[in-house]
Amino acid sequence: MSSKTIKFLQYASIAWIWIFVLSVDIWIISLLIVARRLHDAINASVGIGIIAIPLFLLIASALTYVFFGLQKHREVDETRHGSL
Amino acid sequence: MPRWGMVIDLNTCTGCGECAAACKIENNVAIVGPEESDMGRTMLWMDMLTEYEGEYPDVKIRYIPRPCLHCDDPPCTRVCPVRATYLNDEGIVAQIFPQCIGCRYCMAACPYTVKSFNWYRPEWPDTMESALNPDVSARPAGVVEKCTFCIHRLQKAKEQAAAENRDLRDGDYIPACAEACPTKAITFGDFEDPKTEVSRLRRTARAFRLLEELGTEPKVYYLYEVE
Amino acid sequence: MNGNEIAAKDDALFRSIEYTGKNFYYAVGIFVTVIAFAAFLYLGQIISGLGVTGMAQPVSWGFYIVNFVFFIGISHAGTLISAILRLSKAEWRRPITRMAEVITAIVLAIGGLHPILDLGQPGRIWHLATSGRLQSPLLWDVTSITAYFAASTVYLFLPLIPDIAILRDRGTKPRWLYQFLSWGWQGTPKQHKVLDRTINILMIGVIPIAVSVHTVISYIFAMTVQPGWHSTIFGPYFVVGAIFSGIAALLIVMIVFRRVYHLENYLKEIHFSYLSILLLIMSLLWFYFTFCEYLTTHYGNEPDEMRVFFYKFSGDFAPYFWAMIVCNFIIPVAILSNKKTRKIKGILFASFTVLIGMWLERLIIVVPSLANPRLGYPTGIYIPSITEWALFAGGIAVFMLGFLLFAKFFPLISVWEIQEGRASSIKEVAHRLRSYLPDELEEDDIKKALH
Repeated sequence: MSSKTIKFLQYASIAWIWIFVLSVDIWIISLLIVARRLHDAINASVGIGIIAIPLFLLIASALTYVFFGLQKHREVDETRHGSL
Repeated sequence: MPRWGMVIDLNTCTGCGECAAACKIENNVAIVGPEESDMGRTMLWMDMLTEYEGEYPDVKIRYIPRPCLHCDDPPCTRVCPVRATYLNDEGIVAQIFPQCIGCRYCMAACPYTVKSFNWYRPEWPDTMESALNPDVSARPAGVVEKCTFCIHRLQKAKEQAAAENRDLRDGDYIPACAEACPTKAITFGDFEDPKTEVSRLRRTARAFRLLEELGTEPKVYYLYEVE
Repeated sequence: MNGNEIAAKDDALFRSIEYTGKNFYYAVGIFVTVIAFAAFLYLGQIISGLGVTGMAQPVSWGFYIVNFVFFIGISHAGTLISAILRLSKAEWRRPITRMAEVITAIVLAIGGLHPILDLGQPGRIWHLATSGRLQSPLLWDVTSITAYFAASTVYLFLPLIPDIAILRDRGTKPRWLYQFLSWGWQGTPKQHKVLDRTINILMIGVIPIAVSVHTVISYIFAMTVQPGWHSTIFGPYFVVGAIFSGIAALLIVMIVFRRVYHLENYLKEIHFSYLSILLLIMSLLWFYFTFCEYLTTHYGNEPDEMRVFFYKFSGDFAPYFWAMIVCNFIIPVAILSNKKTRKIKGILFASFTVLIGMWLERLIIVVPSLANPRLGYPTGIYIPSITEWALFAGGIAVFMLGFLLFAKFFPLISVWEIQEGRASSIKEVAHRLRSYLPDELEEDDIKKALH
């Protein structure tokens, strides 16, 4: 597999993680709206939302930070074998 | 807005089980075979609880007909993850069969154990298949069901009243169990309206509710038997 | 830095990846057969309904929920233990953390899917997405398990990156996989800094998530008003039980794979000894919680509660209840508190009994409360069917297969952390020690003490 394809896959996987995390967050927000509409225990729902929404963002941010951090701090030595 | 409720007089109840039978037929409740029944899969929206008091030979047997108690603060609706069961505006704890995912959390949470589950696709003997009530939807396998206070009858009674251009009267809407009871032990009606028979009966000294201490505020009252 | 040279010393850790024996294929074959059999029976359940299980009224929850709680409990082995060991700078953690994290990720996936096995209408699971209600404890579970799964896979993956890079540099096949997953790791100091910083954040973050997961699972039961369930102690009780069974599972996995892949050099008696002391502590803690739970019930003497209580103590469930006490408390305490029996074999035996005991505990929590409803109902009976047993076996097989496949592609012991330990931890520990001591120690004193 060419290094270009692998690079593409790496970026795609980061994008996929964000899609996953954002869809979970959107799901939780939509549940909050459902809770309001149905007059459910809104405070419990908000409490869960406040914790869960940033948590998923944090997880995705951590991964993204590591990925770009590793890319940035590579030694510029593309001649070395298998330096991807 | 009316709040529908029921009063069951244990003094006149003979424990004949007619209410349970009428309920099964009215609501298309599945009939399970004897083996399944032995496993505990009998489906009864209206069950007949038997309580034994005292030791043999001085045993007193008490029959308590038990529909869904339609709590005003129902433990079952609170835990449902998809709102397949909810307390409607008229105080009836309703079930939405197409919404139910079959997690059975409501069954586990109900302190009165009133809910039944469709372990298989509901079946009836051939002769009964053609006699199913068209007003009550058939349930698929894998959903929870229970007494709805014959909510389809409320629908019909409302339409009837609207057609006759009048308000709903006491006695227009009666579930099948109350209608079938040969000793008229079951009274049904609107709790909001102080003039109805149920409102009068539930304020009498004999009235009590099952597991009142749990704070579920059931809307089925019982009247103690008198010696 | 070249991975080849550095890793040469730790060749044993790569053997499972680079050499595939016949036994590997046999094992995979057996597990796949078990899984296929379970899947076949599950298909039957989907087609004909939950009637193929032993569940009925009033025992409307059975093995699936029991195993759900049990598997999720085991998943606490990992991330929690490894995070706590990392956080407390326990040097002996180095060969253990990876296995613990792998257990978490795999078992969590298995446990998390169990409620779906339990659904009467699994095809309607999307209703949770469109009209789920956050006020139902089941939704709390969905949220916290998703969060824990996401966090623990990330927490497994990040410390794996340097090892993947070593594999990439060794030219292990499939090359593209390691190239793809190594994210351009070269081991530069700045890269190390980025990775260390993130791992530190995650290990702190993952602890409350792990605690919340099992607390919330206990809430499924505790939030109802049913006798035997409605208890404030359930949250911590479940968490303690989870860590307890998690350590037992970790010990078993460590002993088995040490033997299979000849890792005796890395997993030494001392590691087992330390971990088993942790197991012993958890056993005592578990007993304390159990004691509190049942004494309060007994003293309160509420009739509905007592029906469940006696059902466990002297009724139908007495054999399971007392077996649980023996498995979870008497055997592990007897074996692990004695230095003579606290050897690999004894630890293995104790860990097995703990797993059995903790599974029994989950059974004893779920079934008796349902079997003894309030009011004049007859006591419920629950006899699990072949489908439920098969799916239980299937769940275990998925775990073993998953673990085996992980070991096939990635090192089960964190190679770079071992190397880091070799390179710098003696010095680091010496410095740390010096900071504990009252007197000023000079470098020479440390050197003297080391020799």
